[in-house]
Amino acid sequence: MKHGRLGARGRIGALVASLAVVSLVASACSSSDGDTDAATGTESAAETSAEESAASEDPIRIGISLPLTGDFSQPGGEAQKGYNAWAAVTNANGGLLGRQVELVVLDDASSQEQVVTDYNRLINEEKVDLLLGTFSSLLNYPASAVAENNEMVLVAPAGGSPKIFEQNFKYYFFAQQATAPNQANPFVATIAALPDDQKPKTAAYAIQDDPFAAPVIESMQAQLEAMGVETVYSEMYPPETTNFQPFASAIAAAKPDLVAQGAVFEDGVNLVKSMIQVGFSPNILFQTSAPSNGAQFTDAIGTGNQDGIFYAVSWSEKAPTPGNAEFLAEYEAQNGPGIPAEDAADAYAAAEVLAAAVEATGGLDNPTIMEWLHANPVTTILGELSWDEIGRPQGEFLLAQWQGDTVNIVAPAGLTTSDTLVMPKPAWK
Amino acid sequence: MQIVQVLAYGILLGGIYALLASGVTLIFGVLDVVNVAQGAFLVFSALFTWQIWDMFGMEPLLLIPVMGAMMGIIGWAIYRGMLIRVAPQGPGMTVLLMFGVALTMEGILNLAFGNKFKSVTPAYFTESLKLGEIVLPYPQLISGVLAIVVLGAIYAYLRFSWAGRALRASSQNRDGAALVGISHKKAAGFAFAIGAATAGVGGVLLAIMYPIFPATHYEWIARLLGVVVLGGFGSIPGAIIAALLLGTMESFASTFVPQWAPLFFYGTILLILVFRPQGIMGSKTREDVA
Repeated sequence: MKHGRLGARGRIGALVASLAVVSLVASACSSSDGDTDAATGTESAAETSAEESAASEDPIRIGISLPLTGDFSQPGGEAQKGYNAWAAVTNANGGLLGRQVELVVLDDASSQEQVVTDYNRLINEEKVDLLLGTFSSLLNYPASAVAENNEMVLVAPAGGSPKIFEQNFKYYFFAQQATAPNQANPFVATIAALPDDQKPKTAAYAIQDDPFAAPVIESMQAQLEAMGVETVYSEMYPPETTNFQPFASAIAAAKPDLVAQGAVFEDGVNLVKSMIQVGFSPNILFQTSAPSNGAQFTDAIGTGNQDGIFYAVSWSEKAPTPGNAEFLAEYEAQNGPGIPAEDAADAYAAAEVLAAAVEATGGLDNPTIMEWLHANPVTTILGELSWDEIGRPQGEFLLAQWQGDTVNIVAPAGLTTSDTLVMPKPAWK
Repeated sequence: MQIVQVLAYGILLGGIYALLASGVTLIFGVLDVVNVAQGAFLVFSALFTWQIWDMFGMEPLLLIPVMGAMMGIIGWAIYRGMLIRVAPQGPGMTVLLMFGVALTMEGILNLAFGNKFKSVTPAYFTESLKLGEIVLPYPQLISGVLAIVVLGAIYAYLRFSWAGRALRASSQNRDGAALVGISHKKAAGFAFAIGAATAGVGGVLLAIMYPIFPATHYEWIARLLGVVVLGGFGSIPGAIIAALLLGTMESFASTFVPQWAPLFFYGTILLILVFRPQGIMGSKTREDVA
């Protein structure tokens, strides 16, 4: 007799099926919210001549894969808003080379496998003219290989991990001011310039094992140790870590003057909350990424607790850079009132970089665009960007600090919006 | 003293894992369905908790019965509307169905709440109970205690009430239960509702501890399946023991070898399953053939 209920094999089957489903989650959900009507031309986009593109009435199609679902869907969604704002502004101003631009956006579900599929599809099936990058070093790493193999320029709004540049690609350009290991430089310089009685003697480092966040803090640790700041705690943690009370307790026991965290978002919030819960407030607190999320960050840690927290940032809504006011106005028109996330501004700037190269070269020939970008700086809402022979930006990041309810740029000199530092960090509210 | 502190964190964490995993194991015990949408149920409840808290500023813990009932009703509707039709097709199809439910719920939440983290921050969310040198954060403490209370209530209900005994009977011997007038479909619908209701309760607790985001459900379902597998599919006491073990293991690993915490979590599961493939409290079963 065969029972209706499952036996051992049925249960194992159910388990295997469920685990397989969970493991496939990241790559299972791909969708397109762009125009899916593929172009029918037989030439590759890279071979399209400048004369043909100038003569065409068709829109210039720009392919983008973004993590609209999955782990990175929060920054991916913000990046999409930035790209959309740029497309609207560009089209309102007459488009590129006199043609309207059209974004073809695919969802990579935060999956390294899916992002490869997406860019291959954009290049080979959708036959897009140009590419723009996805979000995070994790996804741009495989995406950059697809672009390089197809000789398509990939300008990425995020993706400054050193590992990407170890590939020595020519077609990849990171559209922020500096690569990850250099992002903490303004902070280290600020610490070095403090009066002796304010300089930290000890430091603790909590670092997410993330290709972007980790190099920032590892570089900072090396520089601060060279300055004589003793490391009393340094631990790497995996991205799925959610419980930070053990970390906060260990850091509190070490009593460091300075705490630096290589955070993305949730981990940054949870470590701050845990430090408040264990009653430890460092004199100096630096985090990557998390504090740049505006109200999402301040709401999550409790309004007022953000005062004095440092973070490296690529963009400021207060910056008087060309096009910044236009970006802010269009972003608000599309998404309602509120300050855009840094990720949206970075995407807007990445598109500005590509557009500048297209206009300067007068066509859509990707090798020509690549050569031009290696040789010329581009002015964006982030400021002026330029790249070396493997697409590494050559500038300096901004150092931001929450000062009360607002964010001010406190370094480097000449780009500051405040001449004072909140130092030491006020006690938790 | 550090050991005691780490142990306290681990027990609180384990208590929360136990509540969240109990729904998965209860549903499997009665329906033979691996509910991979349980993480989505949790996040669904957590985001609605945020919405109500944000609109009215009310104490989020007061929403526990509301969210429990809401998710119970949604769970029952999912069972009656979809699962009951797909269940005869076997476990593979039910897993795919529930995976579809999870993705659909994530999509709905993305549309409703956007791609932004939401945080519920009642007055006590950064406060702690201090017992000498031991620190017990109130959100974790409250969640751990409530998890134990809810689990105790579920256990007592299943153990002592007629409906609970009917559920257990249907779980242990479907045909035999039918002979004494217990409808398996009704029992299964009821079990699914209770399982989903635990996610409703768990979602409220999750909301006061962590920022919530629609895609958060992936990381939770992976952990919950780990707990359920280790405890033995279908065993609530097993899930409780496994949750406490894994919570404590995670807490110690986070303190002393944080980079290897996932290895300890999943390595513990692997190691125990090598010696006890049915899990800590699971029973060996056989499938007869005609």
